[in-house]
Amino acid sequence: MSERPQPIDPRGPRFNQAVLCVALLAAFVLDLPVVVPVFAVVLFLGAAFGPRYGPFLRLYRDVIRPRLRPPAELEDPRPPRFASTVGTVFLTVATLAFLAGADTLGWVLALVPAALAGLAAATGICVGCEMWLFVARRRHVELVA
Amino acid sequence: MAIRLAVVVALVAVFVLARVAYRRWRAGLHAESRAVPALPDHLVAGAARTWVVFTTPWCASCDTVTSHLSTAEPDSRVVKVDATQHVDLADAFHIRSAPTVLLADSLGTVQRRLVGATAVADYVRIGQ
Repeated sequence: MSERPQPIDPRGPRFNQAVLCVALLAAFVLDLPVVVPVFAVVLFLGAAFGPRYGPFLRLYRDVIRPRLRPPAELEDPRPPRFASTVGTVFLTVATLAFLAGADTLGWVLALVPAALAGLAAATGICVGCEMWLFVARRRHVELVA
Repeated sequence: MAIRLAVVVALVAVFVLARVAYRRWRAGLHAESRAVPALPDHLVAGAARTWVVFTTPWCASCDTVTSHLSTAEPDSRVVKVDATQHVDLADAFHIRSAPTVLLADSLGTVQRRLVGATAVADYVRIGQ
């Protein structure tokens, strides 16, 4: 039987998204494709093993959150984890494109999650999360927050 | 390098515009939500203060919120409304998530709107 997920502070994923966006855009400007697989791993850790294992999610939880007011609302952790999974797929394929010498394709694939992460960080609109919620509502999945 | 910088600047501009547009949209929704009707008489039942807790069958924290309010405000009336069963009422009060809690006076005028268990706990702990 699967354990019921614990609701999370939604500002954690938003911080993670902001870091991802800034890092990927900086890498794009400076032409540093090595950043792409690094963030594929960062996203993978958070998506596969939960917020405790995502480096920036952990940084938020342990260092930043204690200095902030409590969140007004909590969030089901599954939508942002799904969004991270989608981001991991994009960045992994981008990495493979870089390895194959297709740099333009690699950057296009890397900029998609960067743009979506930037949008989520700036507005709170998380496209990957909405995809998960769209399916979850139709499957009557119970949300924990 | 210049082209890449231009792409990034364009993306950042899109983020900023999206943020501004989204905030305006949310502000519009907020203003709309403030123009809410009075709660129906059968919910308020003449009580000086009524807390209406909008719940869903899958809401994990709604029962806790309800008992928390009942304990913290023994003189207030606390009513649970299942938003999935009373869809018209939930729509009329712009309920988007559970628990959403409305505090109304004896005329049913909504005085306060709290969204989420944490907001309710903070309100009860800190007071008005």
